[in-house]
Amino acid sequence: MTYLFDPGNWEWLFTGNNARFILEGFLINLEIALIAMVFALAVGLALALARLSRNPVLSFVAGLWVDVFRNLPLIFLILYLALALPTAWRDVWEENVPDWAPEAFQSGFVFAALVGLVLYNSAVLAEIMRAGILSLPRGQSEAARALGLSYRQSMRHVILPQGLRRMVPATVSQLITLNKDTTLVSIIAITEVMRRGRIVTSSNFFAAVEAPVLHVFVFIGLLFVLVNYALSRLSRRLEIGERRRSGAARMEVKGLEDQIPAAEPA
Amino acid sequence: MPGLISFLGDHFDAFAAGFWVTVRLVAGSFAIAMVVGTLIAALRVAPVRWLQRLGALYVETFRNVPLLVLLFISFAGLRRAGVDINAWVAGMGSLGLYTGAYVAEALRSGVFSVGKGQIEASLSLGLSYRKTLRHVVLPQAFRTVISPLGSLMIAMIKNSAIIGVSLLALPDLLKQARIVSSQTFRTDEAFFWAAVGYLVLTVAATLLIRGLERRYAIRR
Repeated sequence: MTYLFDPGNWEWLFTGNNARFILEGFLINLEIALIAMVFALAVGLALALARLSRNPVLSFVAGLWVDVFRNLPLIFLILYLALALPTAWRDVWEENVPDWAPEAFQSGFVFAALVGLVLYNSAVLAEIMRAGILSLPRGQSEAARALGLSYRQSMRHVILPQGLRRMVPATVSQLITLNKDTTLVSIIAITEVMRRGRIVTSSNFFAAVEAPVLHVFVFIGLLFVLVNYALSRLSRRLEIGERRRSGAARMEVKGLEDQIPAAEPA
Repeated sequence: MPGLISFLGDHFDAFAAGFWVTVRLVAGSFAIAMVVGTLIAALRVAPVRWLQRLGALYVETFRNVPLLVLLFISFAGLRRAGVDINAWVAGMGSLGLYTGAYVAEALRSGVFSVGKGQIEASLSLGLSYRKTLRHVVLPQAFRTVISPLGSLMIAMIKNSAIIGVSLLALPDLLKQARIVSSQTFRTDEAFFWAAVGYLVLTVAATLLIRGLERRYAIRR
């Protein structure tokens, strides 16, 4: 404890541009998470619709796809893609990344990381969306069809707007998991916050001031706790609002670690 | 396809050893997570304000921090600080403490799912607080948490892969796949069999939970 709180061990944080270096790395993590989230939402919606489709082949394939990618470790996917994606694909990425993008994004491995994150998260989000759509009372789609809307029209104008609203809180929770998972891309040599942390602990820029590993990573951990705590409060708030609005019970998504039903104080 | 099978035959020992390491990691971490989770859940439902806060602090910290950060702190960090911690302890400890926060939340929501009326009824029948907890609340709470605990078990199997690739370098399934792949330059085959290993574990866990649920779970 005294080791942890010894001010001398925290001096590195105020030395040179160490703090800025770490914070910029953290920003890269948040950016990777956001980009992956946007694509995962789009792919996830397609998967959810395919799984709910009345075409049995399409629905089976989508179900298998979702189950396989949801049940594999994310780090496994990222590592495999980094090793196995053709070099040509990575080159295409490197040639097309705009110059203003942060330096970490110039590496072709970012492409592998993003594909891995999107594959995994789209499978998870597809399940969340499916649960949102299935939680609607049957009467909604029956009424829409009875009014003469086609399957497409009733999906587009009746089911999706309501179903997707219900999944917002669960999606925000998933963003927390995704935020944490972005640290895994450090394994394939993308210089985000974890790599930068290691650079700070090992570099001799400020030889007089040693940056202890423990303190650097406690600091990085606190950054994540801060952002993710804010997100979890937001998710909780949205959920309460949604429940008040629709009077619906909490939507349950099976098999997600982050979707533990919140306790209801009696 | 025959290539795939003979590939497994050639490297079966490596994969089996990795599979076994993963199983032991998950089993050990799950035990730690259950103990820690139960303690923290007890803090969170305790009738004392500051104990509740302490429990909440634990949950919010460990649930929001990346597992990889915990692994760095517990292994490299503590070693640099002069604590001689071994890779297994650091790995299982990190995964156990991390998942413990989720277990605590699952148990807590299980306890709250037992209606207040039941507790009041039991107390008014003359059962003590302890006896109420032991005979009325916990048996029911346990049955509602089977399904969330199952999800956590599966998440744990997946998260255990992070231990092997981080600097702990325990030879788990994913690590073995990487070793085999770098020796043979046959990445696809090596990773295919590792994927099969992980899917076998997650599917087995799913079936186990489904069986338990069918037997014991109460739907609410």
